[in-house]
Amino acid sequence: MTAIDPARRVVVTGMGVVTPIGTNVPEFWGGLKRGQLGVGPVGGFPVEELKILIAAQVKGFEPKVRLKHFKRDKLITLADRYSWFAAAAADEAMQMAGLEGPIANPYRAACIVGSGAGGLVTFETAYRDLFIHKKLATHPLTLLRIIGSSASAHIGIEFGIKGPTFATCSACSTASHAIGLATDYIRNGVVDIAIAGASESVINYGTMKAWQALHVLSPQGCFPFSKKRNGTVLGEGAGILVLESYAHAKARGAKIIAELAGYGMSSDAQDMVKPTIEGPREAMRMALEDAGIAPTAIDYLNAHGTATADNDRNETKAIKEVFGDHAYKLAISSTKSMHGHPLGAGGGIEAVATIKAMQESWVPPTIGLDDPDPECDLDYIPNVGRDKAVRYAMSNSFAFGGLNAVLVFGPPPA
Amino acid sequence: MDDVATKIIEILKKHMKEPMQSIGLETALTDLKIESLDLAMIVFDIEDSFGIEIPYNANEEASAFKTVGSVVERVKSLKAATGG
Repeated sequence: MTAIDPARRVVVTGMGVVTPIGTNVPEFWGGLKRGQLGVGPVGGFPVEELKILIAAQVKGFEPKVRLKHFKRDKLITLADRYSWFAAAAADEAMQMAGLEGPIANPYRAACIVGSGAGGLVTFETAYRDLFIHKKLATHPLTLLRIIGSSASAHIGIEFGIKGPTFATCSACSTASHAIGLATDYIRNGVVDIAIAGASESVINYGTMKAWQALHVLSPQGCFPFSKKRNGTVLGEGAGILVLESYAHAKARGAKIIAELAGYGMSSDAQDMVKPTIEGPREAMRMALEDAGIAPTAIDYLNAHGTATADNDRNETKAIKEVFGDHAYKLAISSTKSMHGHPLGAGGGIEAVATIKAMQESWVPPTIGLDDPDPECDLDYIPNVGRDKAVRYAMSNSFAFGGLNAVLVFGPPPA
Repeated sequence: MDDVATKIIEILKKHMKEPMQSIGLETALTDLKIESLDLAMIVFDIEDSFGIEIPYNANEEASAFKTVGSVVERVKSLKAATGG
């Protein structure tokens, strides 16, 4: 374990989410408890001749209601949908942390909120206007809506954060990288507090066509580790944490939800789509080492579990290499079976699911898992969640390009 | 007031944080308290409504436009030039 100043241990004091199965943490947790399916017919735009007609879309999210109370950021309701999700999740996390903007010590705060692709829905609308509707100009806010750092900027403006503010971008590991970087900043004394995570909202005609062309989407549903699994299902949403140094949280009397005990990052450096076992294994191993715990200390693992054959088999093998015999005793689940694959936001949403599992002593299931793939022979908590004391938990994110980031959460420091 | 002026004033009001009740042709643009981003949105809306392009650079002072009336006149001349 890297020697970390005890005062600079990193704790979680707030969490926020927007997901297809709940647009705040209590609703999301309720959805996980019920085994709610967030996947349904894709809509909201002309589906034309799409072959894949399902997605996990966020429904009933009203930015003008949810973000109405924003004081400093005057443009938030005119921003892209991905910024709305980020702002709503950050707002929930800050409220849970008992913090209000503008932050008291603004240069000692960071806002690292990533996105795999930024405002792709805005992009498509603008290009439709230009190329199909032959409009003379795009909407003036097009550029500001599109850029992948606009969510972090919006949140930074609202909460008056003047320290490091930027987005990470690593496809499906975006949120976990953001949370990992924020952890480093806090440990190293760059800042005392950080809003970290990611947001994604890319479900439109062009994105569906691009994913369809890669032939990794399922026409039926997201069934991780199952024999019937035949691809992933696009999702959307945001998952954001408020992280603080232990000393900072203690000094202001904040309620500490969990410790961000360790994280690991690695890159396969081999192939854009074919994952290695080594990369994910090393990221998990580094996260455990960073946390200073043995593999046997992990009680629950929130898998990347995308329901692609490559991921599910590879992740299973990598878990076995890291955990040995303990792999078979470990409670593992892919909550993507319920909320779909929210791409860059995945690690943030799943971090919240992981921390809630620790708080509530209940591990969420992998739904749709009646008949497992014989090569996926671990305990993936099929269909029904269960009571289980969770002291330490791991959350995996493995992205296209072989970009891996793994987080380990533990109990609040004694 | 003609249709062009009515439409332009409607657009101005839509983008103002605190819409003034009485906007006339003689109203100075500086009295409207329009911020730079709002101006870009107003220009976009006017261009879209009238099918014209207004030469305008956010880095330069819009000195050609002093009053609402000067905007209306400019839009009319651009409309005429594009055959609109």
